[in-house]
Amino acid sequence: MVEQLAAGFTAAFAPANLVALLFGTVVGIVVGILPGLGPMVGMVVLLPFSFAFTPDVALSLLLGVFCGGYFGGAVPAILMRTPGVPSSLITSFDGYPLTRKGEAQTALSAALLGSFGGGVISLWILVFLAPILAHVAASFGPPEYLTVAVFGVVLVVMAFRDRLAQGLMLLGLGFWISTVGIDGSTLGARFTFGTLIMQNGLHIIPVCLGLFGIGQTLLLVERDILRGREVHLSRSTLDFSKLWLALRYWRTLIRSGVIGTFVGLLPGTGSILASFMSYDAAKRLSKEKERFGKGTPEGCLASEAGNNAVPAGTMIPLLTLGIPGDALSAVLLGVFTINGIYPGPLLLVKEPVLINTLYWSMLLINVAAFAMLVVWLRPFAMIVKVPSRLLAVVIMVISLVGIYAVNTRLFDAGVAVVMGVLGYVLLRLNWPIVNLVMGIVLGEIMENRLRQTLSLGEGSLAILLGRPISMALLGLTVLIIAGPLILDRRRAKKAEKSDFVRRAS
Amino acid sequence: MADEQKNAESRVHDLLGAVLGLFALGLLVTSPWHVDRSGPDPFYKGPLIFPLLVLILMVGASLPSLWRVLRTRGGTWYLDGQGLPVRSLRVLALLVLFLAGLVYLGLEISTWAFLFAALWTVEQRSVWKLVGIPTLVTLCLYLVFKVFLGVWFPEPVLLEALME
Repeated sequence: MVEQLAAGFTAAFAPANLVALLFGTVVGIVVGILPGLGPMVGMVVLLPFSFAFTPDVALSLLLGVFCGGYFGGAVPAILMRTPGVPSSLITSFDGYPLTRKGEAQTALSAALLGSFGGGVISLWILVFLAPILAHVAASFGPPEYLTVAVFGVVLVVMAFRDRLAQGLMLLGLGFWISTVGIDGSTLGARFTFGTLIMQNGLHIIPVCLGLFGIGQTLLLVERDILRGREVHLSRSTLDFSKLWLALRYWRTLIRSGVIGTFVGLLPGTGSILASFMSYDAAKRLSKEKERFGKGTPEGCLASEAGNNAVPAGTMIPLLTLGIPGDALSAVLLGVFTINGIYPGPLLLVKEPVLINTLYWSMLLINVAAFAMLVVWLRPFAMIVKVPSRLLAVVIMVISLVGIYAVNTRLFDAGVAVVMGVLGYVLLRLNWPIVNLVMGIVLGEIMENRLRQTLSLGEGSLAILLGRPISMALLGLTVLIIAGPLILDRRRAKKAEKSDFVRRAS
Repeated sequence: MADEQKNAESRVHDLLGAVLGLFALGLLVTSPWHVDRSGPDPFYKGPLIFPLLVLILMVGASLPSLWRVLRTRGGTWYLDGQGLPVRSLRVLALLVLFLAGLVYLGLEISTWAFLFAALWTVEQRSVWKLVGIPTLVTLCLYLVFKVFLGVWFPEPVLLEALME
C-alpha cells in the first residue's frame, strides 16, 4: 500500500504529469470563469490532444479541467451574479450581495476555501471508500455488472423524469450509436450502410466534441450570457486575512464536502443538487440563518464545498463499478476505455499505480487551482471581458482541427459537425443530453454484459433472479422507478385538489 | 408572450421526438439487413439482440410524441422562444465550408478565411479581431499540428491546380 502510494506520488510529480495537470487546471479555471462554456467544453476540446499522452497524464489533464472548472465558476457568480458553471448559481445567492456591499474579497475567500476544502475532503472519502466498494464488487460476475449498469442508467433517466420520454429516446440513441461499426465479438459489420468509413464506428470523441464543443459554441454565437461586464476587485490577489476569517466556518466546510461527495456518488444527481443540498443544510444549521440570501460567506463556502466535492464523488462509482455519474465522468470513462483500461473492482488491483497517481493528481489539482486563483485573482476575473462570440468561433476551429488530427480523417470532423447540430438543438430544447452521452459510453459495456449474462443463462435472463446481489439491485431499480412516479402522482393530485378548493371558494 | 410559455406550447419537442422515433423504427425494420449475422452464435449471443432492444426502447419512448404530432392541432413551432437562429446557421454553413476548405485550400488558408468570415458574422469587426485573431490562431494551429505533432493534412487540391 505504502509502496503504491509512493509510486503514485512519484508518477504524479513527474514533469509531464505536472505540466499536464497545471495546464488542465488553467484551462479548467478559464472555461469555468467564462459563462456558457464550462468544464465539459474544456474537456472535449482537449480530448483529441490527450491521445498523445500516457493514460495517467491524459487523465490528469482532463481532471484538471474537471476540477478547475468548478473553482473558476464561482468567480463570475460572485462578481457579476452570472454563474460560470450551473452549480455556482447557488454561490451567487450570497456572493453577489456581498460584492454589492463592497465585500467581494470576503465572498471569494469563502468560496475558494470552500472549493479547496470540498475537493480535499471528497478526495479523502474517495481514497477510503473506493477499496471498500471495489472489495464488495470483486465478487461480481456479468449478471451483477449488468444490473449495476441498469441501476446507474435508471438513476440518470429518473433524475430527468419530467422529460422521461425524451431521456429514454436519447439513451436509446446513445446505445445505438455505440453499436455502429464492427462488432467486437463476432467481427461482423453493424449499421455501416455498406460503407468502409463507418466500419470504425462513431467514435466517442467526435460525438462528444460535436455535442458539447460545437453544440455549445453554436449556442454561444447567438446569445450574450453575461449580465454586465463590470468587475470590481479591491486588489489583484486574494485578501489572506479574509481567508482566515472564512476558516471559522470549518464545520460547514466539512459537512458540505461530505454531502457533495455522496451526492456526486449517485449517478444522475449532478453538482447543482450537491451545491443546493450543502447550502440548504448550512442554512438550516447556521446560527445566522437570517443572513442567508442577503450575503454571508458561509453560504458561498457551503455551496462551493458541495459542488467541488462532486468530481471525486463521481470517481467512486466510476473507478469501482465502471459507472459514470455524469457526462463529465462519462468522458473520463471514455479515456479509460480508449486506452484499454476498463474501470471496475479489478482496476484497483491491476492498476494500483495509476489509481494512486490519480489520487495525488487530484490533490495537486486542488492545490494548484486554489493557489492560482489566490495569486492571479484579478487576471483570471478579467477573462470574462473576452467576448464569448469571439471565443466560440476560435473554439470551433480548434475543435475541428483537433478532431481531424486524432485519426487524420475528415469523416470524424464531419461527424462532429453533425453531432454539433444535434447538440445545439438538444441544448436549445433543454433535452437531457447527459442521457445521450451515458448511452454512448455505457453502450458497449452494457451490451457485452448482456450477451455474457445471456450466455450464462443459456438465453434466459432468469439467471438474474437466482443471484442475490442482482436481485437486490433489481429491487432497488424498481423502487427508483416506482417511488418517484408515485410521489409525483400524489403531488399532482394534491395540487389539483387544492386548486379545485381554491376555485370553489 | 413569455419564453417559457412559447416553449411549453411549442410542437418542436414532439416533432423531434417523432423524427427520432421514425428513424429508430426504420432501423428496427431494416436491422436484419444492417447487421451481419453470419457467425455461428445463437441469437442471444449474437450482434443483433442489443440493437433490437435499444431501437424498441426508442420507438416505445417516441410513441407519445408521434401521437401528439399527428393528432394535436395548433401550438407554435418556436425552438425555444429565442427567435430563429440565423447567426448560428450562418456560422454552421461556414463550418461546413471550412471542412471543404481543408481539402481544397489547405489548413492555413481555410482556417484564416473561416475565422475572418465567422468573426464578421458574429459582429466582432475591429481590425485587430478580423485580422489579428485569425492570423494568431492560424499560426498556433500550424505550429501545434503541423510542426510539433507532425499531423498530415490533405494537399490543397485547388492550390495545386493553380500552381500547375
